[in-house]
Amino acid sequence: MMRFRLEKRPEPSKLMLYGTPVAAVVLTMILGCLLFSAIGYNGLRAVQEIFFTPLTNPYKWQDLGIKAAPLIIIGTGLSVAYRANVWNIGAEGQYIIGALAATSIALLTWGMSGWWILPLMAIAGMLGGMAYASIPAFLKTRLNVNEILTSLMLTYASVQLIYYLIRGPWKDPMGIGFPQSRLFSEAARLPNIIPGTIVHLGVPIAVIVALIAWFVMSKTVFGYRMRVVGAAPHAARYGGFSENKTIWLAMLVSGGLAGLAGMLEVAGPFQRMVPGFPTNYGFTAIIVAFLGRLNPLGVIVAGVVLAITFVGGQVAQTTIGLPDEATGIFQAMMLFLLLAGDILVRYRIRRISPEASAGAA
Amino acid sequence: MTLSRRGFIKVGGAAMTLPLLGGTAFGQAEKLKIGFIYVGSINDNGYNYAHNQGRLYVEENLGDAVETMFVENVPEGPDCERVVRELAQQGCKLIFATSFGFGDSVIKVAPEFPDVAFEHATGYMKADNVGLYNARFYEGRAVCGVIAGHMSKTAKAGYIGSFPIPEVVMGINSFVLAARQVNPEFTITPVYISTWNDPAKEADAARAMIDQGIDIVAQHTDGPAALQVAAERGIVGGFGQGADMSAFAPDTQLTAIIDHWGPHYLASAKAVIEGTWVPGDTWEGLKEDVVQMGPYNAKVPADVVTAAEAMRTGQIDGSVHIFTGPINDHTGTERVAAGVTMTDAELLSMDWYVEGVIPPA
Repeated sequence: MMRFRLEKRPEPSKLMLYGTPVAAVVLTMILGCLLFSAIGYNGLRAVQEIFFTPLTNPYKWQDLGIKAAPLIIIGTGLSVAYRANVWNIGAEGQYIIGALAATSIALLTWGMSGWWILPLMAIAGMLGGMAYASIPAFLKTRLNVNEILTSLMLTYASVQLIYYLIRGPWKDPMGIGFPQSRLFSEAARLPNIIPGTIVHLGVPIAVIVALIAWFVMSKTVFGYRMRVVGAAPHAARYGGFSENKTIWLAMLVSGGLAGLAGMLEVAGPFQRMVPGFPTNYGFTAIIVAFLGRLNPLGVIVAGVVLAITFVGGQVAQTTIGLPDEATGIFQAMMLFLLLAGDILVRYRIRRISPEASAGAA
Repeated sequence: MTLSRRGFIKVGGAAMTLPLLGGTAFGQAEKLKIGFIYVGSINDNGYNYAHNQGRLYVEENLGDAVETMFVENVPEGPDCERVVRELAQQGCKLIFATSFGFGDSVIKVAPEFPDVAFEHATGYMKADNVGLYNARFYEGRAVCGVIAGHMSKTAKAGYIGSFPIPEVVMGINSFVLAARQVNPEFTITPVYISTWNDPAKEADAARAMIDQGIDIVAQHTDGPAALQVAAERGIVGGFGQGADMSAFAPDTQLTAIIDHWGPHYLASAKAVIEGTWVPGDTWEGLKEDVVQMGPYNAKVPADVVTAAEAMRTGQIDGSVHIFTGPINDHTGTERVAAGVTMTDAELLSMDWYVEGVIPPA
């Protein structure tokens, strides 16, 4: 009988490190094709529409841009935090609070004009996200409460805060009772950067944010610190890097960027606060961060890949009647395969001969 | 479903793979493409299911003259904007946006496609190529209210609403006005869950209200979750909304309000084909058969059925209008004088509760 054993590699395999995300995407396509063929859809068309139509049809590029932008910004922040082994799962909540903080500025300055309004909203957004992320950071560093639970649960609280604000203090006087804020004034809306499209300023900002993060993470002491703390906590402690300080930094960076994404989203595509504002970008960005190998440059690519599945999922609904849930299945499959594949980065599969295994047993 | 999908693939497949850039340029004359946008799943067995039945009705009646496509689970926000554009780019010349919150997106995208006819359900914003259509659901609510007034033992009903918009407020008021004609002690407690479609939230709201002593539950959300809870807890009963939901709670659904959009969709499709479409503003009800009542449950006593039928036929022949004064608001102040009937405009902007409603905090 043939037997296999996982054997730890002396050092992580570079090939596998960059190979597994690609393999995960390719395998997702193959398995997805088989799965949807098995239940009576045209599996090949499904994969074609979801993964390729958004790329081949220029009309879809603008959609990819605006869908990928928040994913890239949040994913970049998360990749920094996850590098340091700080598991901020509540980016969605920080994204929401950032958007609410930005909305408050937009409503306070309603009817005014001036170039300073948007930057002020961006600052408010980041501060809002940071403030919300500092709650799990405080609980973790002072009381050693698991940040996964606190950050996740705070997300649900933030959604309730939206409902409270738009039903009460921020209710649109013109909205015939619909709980939503009023439409922002011109000065509080992100300008479109390409005339005739819906591409707003948030798209280039996302790329710039990721590039800056890449530079900081790979070329500065801060980046070194985050990586060392994550990779070798003991060594980091000997090296004089405070663990608590790292947790704070990781939470503030990831929360601040999520808040910035929230501001860009509310000032860009939404232009008002509505109950449907939370669309799980904060959770999808977790997939983006891991698919991008916790590297800001990888996050750009991964953000676009996830955006493709969203946009393509809707194309597939109209062209071949694929149900909406298919998009979620493809995304989940991708993350699962990626995480499963990760084991190959650190371990290799060894065939063990029957005699040796018998001896071992 | 599967059959039509397969046919769809065969017929549409070749044309669809063409780059969408040139898509609108050819092949339009013979077939009208119609797009539908749903806020929930077509399998919700309620509101979205009913719209989808309307789509199938058009297919059945016009056969090869039309080709329909739909996108489900579309969030009310920028994602809807993309879907509207997607359908227009796919060559749809008639697009139905079937949820209130799609209004902003339709109004935004419609000017980009002046040759496409848009129709927005339950909305309030019109444009050169955007028409409105709605159904007098409140007429059905009045029939349900009569049954509730007769059958409730605690004289307390719960009402699960999505958002406090006039559409929903009107339904609550109609229900309680009819119930109080039977039992002047009758009260109703609305709960708003800020979504059209979240079975878990709908069920939680139903449970909480049953714990507080209601024995009838009604809902203005999309699915049968509340009815299922009612069945599980063995209260007097509830009502189907959007479609006949008796399959989910055979002993609990007292009757159902059935949305019958098919004839409206058919008329609009014919108008576009014949080139006579103009943006309309229709609001039809029991009389026009756009709103139908489901079968009465066997446990509804004969005299109650008679009373309910009287309410139904009275609204059809015009002898009964539930919003005829005297009507007091929930504080007891008279809002509509005796003998006066509220106008459609007043109904469509209704933002106050009638006597008997215990307003949510």
